[in-house]
Amino acid sequence: MRTRLFAATAAVAVVLAACGGGTPGAQPSASAGPKADIKVGLAISLTGAANIYGPAQQNGAKLAMEQINAAGGIGGAKIALVVEDDASARDQGITVFRKLINEDKVTAILGPTLSGVAAGAHPVAQQAGIPVIAISNTGVGIVGKCDYGACDWIFRASLGEETALPAALKAAKDKLNLKKVVLMFESDQKFASDGADIFKKAAADNGITIARTIPYKTADVDFSAFVTQAKGESPDAILASGLAGTASKVLVEVGKQFPQGLRVVGSNGFNSPAVITAAGAAAPNMIVGTAWNKASTDKANADFVKAFKDKYGSDPDQFATQAYTAMIVLADAMKRSTNVTDKAALKKALEGTKDLATPLGAFSFTPEHDVKQPVFVMTVKDGAFVPFN
Amino acid sequence: MAEQLYNAIFVGSIYALFAVGFALVFSVLDILNLAHPVVFMLGAFVALFFMSTFGVPAALAAVAAFVLTGVFGIFLDRVAFAPLRRRGAPPLSAMISSLGFAIVVIRLMELRYGPDLTSYPTGSLPQTVLQIGDARLDGLRLLIIGLAILLMAALTYVVRATQLGRDIRALAENPRAARLLGVDVDRAIAATFFISSGLGGVAGALLGFAYNAIYPQMGTPYELKAFTVMVVGGMGSLPGAVLGAYILGIGEIAALVFLPAEFAELRDALAFGLLFLVLVIRPRGLLGHRTADRA
Repeated sequence: MRTRLFAATAAVAVVLAACGGGTPGAQPSASAGPKADIKVGLAISLTGAANIYGPAQQNGAKLAMEQINAAGGIGGAKIALVVEDDASARDQGITVFRKLINEDKVTAILGPTLSGVAAGAHPVAQQAGIPVIAISNTGVGIVGKCDYGACDWIFRASLGEETALPAALKAAKDKLNLKKVVLMFESDQKFASDGADIFKKAAADNGITIARTIPYKTADVDFSAFVTQAKGESPDAILASGLAGTASKVLVEVGKQFPQGLRVVGSNGFNSPAVITAAGAAAPNMIVGTAWNKASTDKANADFVKAFKDKYGSDPDQFATQAYTAMIVLADAMKRSTNVTDKAALKKALEGTKDLATPLGAFSFTPEHDVKQPVFVMTVKDGAFVPFN
Repeated sequence: MAEQLYNAIFVGSIYALFAVGFALVFSVLDILNLAHPVVFMLGAFVALFFMSTFGVPAALAAVAAFVLTGVFGIFLDRVAFAPLRRRGAPPLSAMISSLGFAIVVIRLMELRYGPDLTSYPTGSLPQTVLQIGDARLDGLRLLIIGLAILLMAALTYVVRATQLGRDIRALAENPRAARLLGVDVDRAIAATFFISSGLGGVAGALLGFAYNAIYPQMGTPYELKAFTVMVVGGMGSLPGAVLGAYILGIGEIAALVFLPAEFAELRDALAFGLLFLVLVIRPRGLLGHRTADRA
């Protein structure tokens, strides 16, 4: 009952806001004295299966918030992050989104971490009319055409697999003249099986034959048999779509069974420093399309990497960088927005994001609210990601 | 083909090493110790700690893993099981209590080490590869297979032929009768947990060596496999657990090799179909006996 009342209040507020009716009644007045904080929700996986990523995202977003506030905030008002743990679970993601919207009255939300959770949580914000920036969802159906209907309040700052995988495969084909490959994928993860479909399409577009498709499961512990199976086809490369946990296992096995080396074109799950460490000597086999080049000397990136290192004592990863970038993009839109607490105006300002300098490169939103940025095709050398070309 | 058989035997050995510890506690105390995956994970971390902090060789680190996780097993019993045992709580309570204990330890490890993958120091593991015809066999894995078999043989010897083993078996039969007959029941229970957890810890360390990816939740995927292995082999039968482990390992890989590519998705269905079949045809498991004469 309580929730419904909140939802109703929020809906009324949105209607008022959409009609240009000024600040919703629930927002404290910002006319006199120090301006009220602008609350931004951050829904991320601090626990559960994706808890590898959440803490990095939190660090990235926090750093951006501190920098923005130190530089005077948004017209004098400070940004206040409200961090909630979605526990890597769809139901928890929905609960957290409801709390952020109805109780914390946030102006915008970043998150959640996983695409599967986003599919449940994003409709809540869509219904309430709260702008959302997805900071790590790379699956299909996050923006543009969504399974749950209209999703015009949702934006995405994380490079999708639809862009990254074909770019990586194309680069690999151009350089290695790939003709025949084997596709391995984590079949019980929607995200990874979508990645497999993208690989299949990209392979067909590039005239590459997939000699065999080998599905595996998240809980599979030994990958020797899968790779032996792939070896039977004598492929020019392996395409692999899976999360970080299985990515390193695939690479380690490939390293063992192909001592002369065999390229593995990987999905976003491969794009992690932890995978490089775990794969050890086998890591240089990997090719992956990424949203970020840590070594880029671009000023926005170099400044970010240094600030992150100074604050946390370790290098940022892509998840931290994308969360940081999304905060920067959001703050930029808030500054351009006619009224910060007016969600419709904020949405419009977000849509106007164009060639903003971020650690990911020049950042714009497409008409479908998806990120438009450079794709970096990377490989590994001496234990670090380096451009592949 | 030879390579796939080798792969299957390796996977079976790891399953077996994990499952015997699990089965040992079940056979003696009638409880499912859901903290066993935690012990497994801790074994890998203990080895990591000794290797990266003191530069200890892998073999010695595995011994340290055995001893320390063994001691941890006794602690686990004192915290999660002993209080329930004293109150005569049903086995289900013990199972839940161990599950809670497991979650707490995993979270603590995540706080300390982060949830991310960690690896052993580079160059600390042997890198031999045996080339037999076309097949390339990883030397480290051969070593692990050998060790697993050796450890299981040692366990069988301890349980069957030593005084401690007789005490443990007496305890399995009937704790009260064992106590009346002068068996030091508390010592036998502690020994059971020491051996079970020590084996789990060594399995974790060895698996860590094989995959070089250590993380707080690394034991979790084995839990379901270990259940399967125990049911197929016969609940609480140690040789049954070993047999079940090799059947599951070989079954999983045979399904991968022999299923046509279009049906590759059915691999797990086949492996677990086996479980179903055993349950229907032989509910006691392949080597299961009546409760009275197991262990």
